[in-house]
Amino acid sequence: MMPTFEGVEHRSSNLDSGGELVLLSLRLLLNLLGILTASSRRQPAPGMEMVVKKYQQKFKKVRDEMSRWDKLQSRLLSQFRNASAIIERLKVLQEPKNYGQLICVNGIREAILGKQMESLQTILISMKKTLEEFHGVVISLEKILRDGRQQLKGGSMSPSTNQMQLRIGIRPSLADCLEGLRLIHEMYHSEYQVKASIVSALALKLSASDLGVLHQLLVDQPNIPKEEVQFIFDIILAEEIC
Amino acid sequence: MYTPEALVSITSPPPSSSSSSSSGLKESKLETTDCNLNSNIASPSLSPSVTRLWRPAAQRNLRNQFSKLLSYKQQWMSASSSGRSHATSLVNAYLSQRYMPAMDLGVISDMPDIRKRACYKLALQQGLNGRKLLSSYKDMVSVVSHMVNTCSSMRCFNKGPAGSPLVQFSSYSEDKNDSGDGAGIPIFTFWPIPYFENLGQELLQMFALELSLKRFLLVELLSLGCEEVSQQTDGLCWSNELYPGEFVDLTINNLYSKETCQPLPPRLKGLEFDDPSTVAVRSKQQPRQEILQVYLTAWLAEVNIDIYRVDEIFAMVGEEMHVSFS
Repeated sequence: MMPTFEGVEHRSSNLDSGGELVLLSLRLLLNLLGILTASSRRQPAPGMEMVVKKYQQKFKKVRDEMSRWDKLQSRLLSQFRNASAIIERLKVLQEPKNYGQLICVNGIREAILGKQMESLQTILISMKKTLEEFHGVVISLEKILRDGRQQLKGGSMSPSTNQMQLRIGIRPSLADCLEGLRLIHEMYHSEYQVKASIVSALALKLSASDLGVLHQLLVDQPNIPKEEVQFIFDIILAEEIC
Repeated sequence: MYTPEALVSITSPPPSSSSSSSSGLKESKLETTDCNLNSNIASPSLSPSVTRLWRPAAQRNLRNQFSKLLSYKQQWMSASSSGRSHATSLVNAYLSQRYMPAMDLGVISDMPDIRKRACYKLALQQGLNGRKLLSSYKDMVSVVSHMVNTCSSMRCFNKGPAGSPLVQFSSYSEDKNDSGDGAGIPIFTFWPIPYFENLGQELLQMFALELSLKRFLLVELLSLGCEEVSQQTDGLCWSNELYPGEFVDLTINNLYSKETCQPLPPRLKGLEFDDPSTVAVRSKQQPRQEILQVYLTAWLAEVNIDIYRVDEIFAMVGEEMHVSFS
């Protein structure tokens, strides 16, 4: 009834764990088969293993950044809900006929409107701050990616295409790692831009019409498909899961 | 200004009447009358020794009073916010009752008396939330009463017979000539007592005006009823006492008018109430949903309390006292 603090249905983040497990064991099996064929045919360059390990470390850092993102996401959602509650209310508050008996208190309409605008302004400012922190996550991801690329180019050895593609056991290939880092950075980078434009739309338009759509867009995070992210991690950090 | 000497002197022997007699023209004149020794302590020119003793006591008192004010502010905030959630539940229960006839109940719509029973339940909920809301209001009344009390206890008076070896202080005047402000000397760094009192009053006024506005909303919300019920009973009006002893409390808070025999009408700071007569007359029509939404927003907005100013006052006072209120 009141738009103050409505409950919002959160998108369930639980994956279908049963199906996921089957997929994973299949992949493991394939990888195990791979070890027999691969190791008999070519020998991995020494030190290659270390590079992959370093990449896996990077993915752990990426995971930390992602959980930071999730915390920011729930903060941003609650800020958005509070802001849109006020925006939706403003129209009702502007009509003197909606004040009932309260209209005999001189100046009440202006005072309430003023207070609400003040709170809205405060919320918008804190949303901008949250946005900056989102940007911080994107920058960290970018740095991790850059470091990853640097490691291959700047290192003493520059791996051949074969070496890039080589998977040892359940370990990921270098190409897997690099592509994973690139994809994740790209996803979060685009999603950050979506969020930034939603926040500025909210600050500029202040109309109640599209609030629901904007909110849904914020919740959905269309640029970050959860399954795909999970898939990347399953490949890179397969050892952890078994 | 704030000399360590003043603190040291607490342990020194208190001044005897003979020693204070030598310290000023006015005092020696009073000495000759020998009937009102107490007043020479509070007279415009204090003897230095008494000042040394008075000042720490006044400082202690002011620190206490302002930290009390701070805790009252916090109590107000929590009472106000729980009041807000009770008010929201009350309005929701009320509106659900009103919409019950038109509500689509799906498969259970065939159950006998289902709408009636649902309405009965909702009415119970509404009543319960009304009582909770009233109790939040009561808490706010008592917060303001405490503030009134605190704001009138900022001075520091001499206590006990003059010239007694023990100099004591209290926040109540026992002597008309003792103004309790230490003859206007700075208490901590720069400000004399009235300065603190004014800031206290400024805080008090915000909360008192907001209390009055909250009462107005409370009356409106508590008189919400189902259409049939409201025709039988007249609902509440502004001049009704909302709980036993409310008017006594409001008199303490300076929110009750003896002339009109009802609480002072709500107003905003610096503005007068439009027309007091309109408060008594309320349209029989039940308020629309938008109006209720505005009422709830008005409760939430606390238009009379400028929270930035409140924080600023506590910060300023804290700085002056070398204490941090936060």
